[in-house]
Amino acid sequence: MKDILTSLRRTPYQTSAAFLVLFFTLLLSGILFISLSFIQGLLSYVETRPRIIVYFQIKAEDEEVRAVQKKLETTGKTENIKYVSKKEAYNIYKEFTKDDPVLLEMTSPDILPASLEIDAKSPEFLPELAEFLKNQPGVDEVEFQKDIVQNLLNLTRNIRRTILVFFAYLLIMSIIVMATTTSFKTALKKEDIALQRLLGATNFYIRKPFIAESVFLGIIASICANSSIAVILLSLNSFLSIFLSGLPKLSVNMLNMSLQVWPFNLMFIVVTFGLTTLFGLIISLVASLSATNRYL
Amino acid sequence: MIIFQNVTVKYPYGNLALNDVSFEIADNEFVYLVGPSGAGKTTILRLLLREITPASGQVTLDNEEISSKKFHDLTTLRQKIGIVFQDFRVLNDKNVYENVALSMRIKGYAASEIKSQVVEALELTGIEDKIFMFPSQLSAGELQRVAIARAIVGERSILLADEPTGNLDPKTTWDVMKIFKKLEKKRTILFATHNTDIVNSMQRRVIVVKNGAIVKDQRKGKYEL
Repeated sequence: MKDILTSLRRTPYQTSAAFLVLFFTLLLSGILFISLSFIQGLLSYVETRPRIIVYFQIKAEDEEVRAVQKKLETTGKTENIKYVSKKEAYNIYKEFTKDDPVLLEMTSPDILPASLEIDAKSPEFLPELAEFLKNQPGVDEVEFQKDIVQNLLNLTRNIRRTILVFFAYLLIMSIIVMATTTSFKTALKKEDIALQRLLGATNFYIRKPFIAESVFLGIIASICANSSIAVILLSLNSFLSIFLSGLPKLSVNMLNMSLQVWPFNLMFIVVTFGLTTLFGLIISLVASLSATNRYL
Repeated sequence: MIIFQNVTVKYPYGNLALNDVSFEIADNEFVYLVGPSGAGKTTILRLLLREITPASGQVTLDNEEISSKKFHDLTTLRQKIGIVFQDFRVLNDKNVYENVALSMRIKGYAASEIKSQVVEALELTGIEDKIFMFPSQLSAGELQRVAIARAIVGERSILLADEPTGNLDPKTTWDVMKIFKKLEKKRTILFATHNTDIVNSMQRRVIVVKNGAIVKDQRKGKYEL
């Protein structure tokens, strides 16, 4: 430890450059990981709640609607079916337009359609159920979340790709800066290395101090980055809790385990910290190994 | 046992650094390797460290042919050998103790064993009072003593000295030679020099190298070119 600190103190500019780059990389990586997990959790949530809304013609009778409901129940592909009568639709409309009495005056329960809100057991049943409903008597319009899910999927895919490219960029940038710093230090110690080799030092013995120094920097940068992330999360938590108050618990699947993403919790923060630290260690190790490899 | 058998070393442009050199050195023998600059003394030492390999011939150490292309255990070979250079080659950012201990740390000795051997070596070389000093605080003679101490700790059975008195004044040279005298018979010593006085005074085996060839090999020899 004493040797590491001495070496770092003797090369303050290289140490600062390596630390700042690593800190920036790990901070951004942590934030990107949290953002991606959140979006993934949101997508999983939407995907697990496949819903179709079928609107009936104005003239459709309650019996017709009930008959369609019964037929749907027999398919075994629905989780829950909610019947919204014309009257209930009007009540919802009233609530929706309570600040605009003119709009309310122009409307009566007779002009609003009855509807069924159908939760499917799986998103893959949605097109099939929609097709079935379109052929039922009295049905006016069928709406389902195919487009929403598809759009969200596309969005997530694009965000994931962008983040991966960004991750790769950060990774390469950090490795190059850290490797350059280590190479510089290795070059400064060229004569020491030559002497150690003559005395019979193994490659690992020669590499060890450079690797230890890099790993030490990686750990310190990771602690600082994680502390910054913790401060950001703590300061944003109350704001996000209000802003996202309608949002239920969000989870993502990671290595066959469900990890709750929202609301923020200790386990999620620990996983984020663990991954960020691991990322920092990988960068440090790869950089120091590749830098010292040139001299051995 | 060191055996050189018809060893020829060529420089990259084809000139001969050593030409058909053969000799044997028994365990714990003290041998002077003398000759003018560029004669091939350092080349012989570099062959033993396997820094270079011969164009032809064999170099054998403890029944193992270290000049062979199949030889890969460089670490074990070099851990048997201590080296003293003309320019000392001590690490400037480490103190005397750390410089000497390096030789043992490389071999993986325990801290307690390192401490006892380093202190013993520093006492033998007469710089035990400089143990925590850094190279910048030492004289040339003291630096060479540090290098000798580094070369003898950690049970290294061979000591190669490449012009170890080349940078020292006459008085310090004799002080250093007294240390080498104490070390002989405990390890094989190959001492490359062109200092006539020390070779003639000690009456040990002398191998004379000139233009890459051995011109004389005498028991109790003198420096005669």
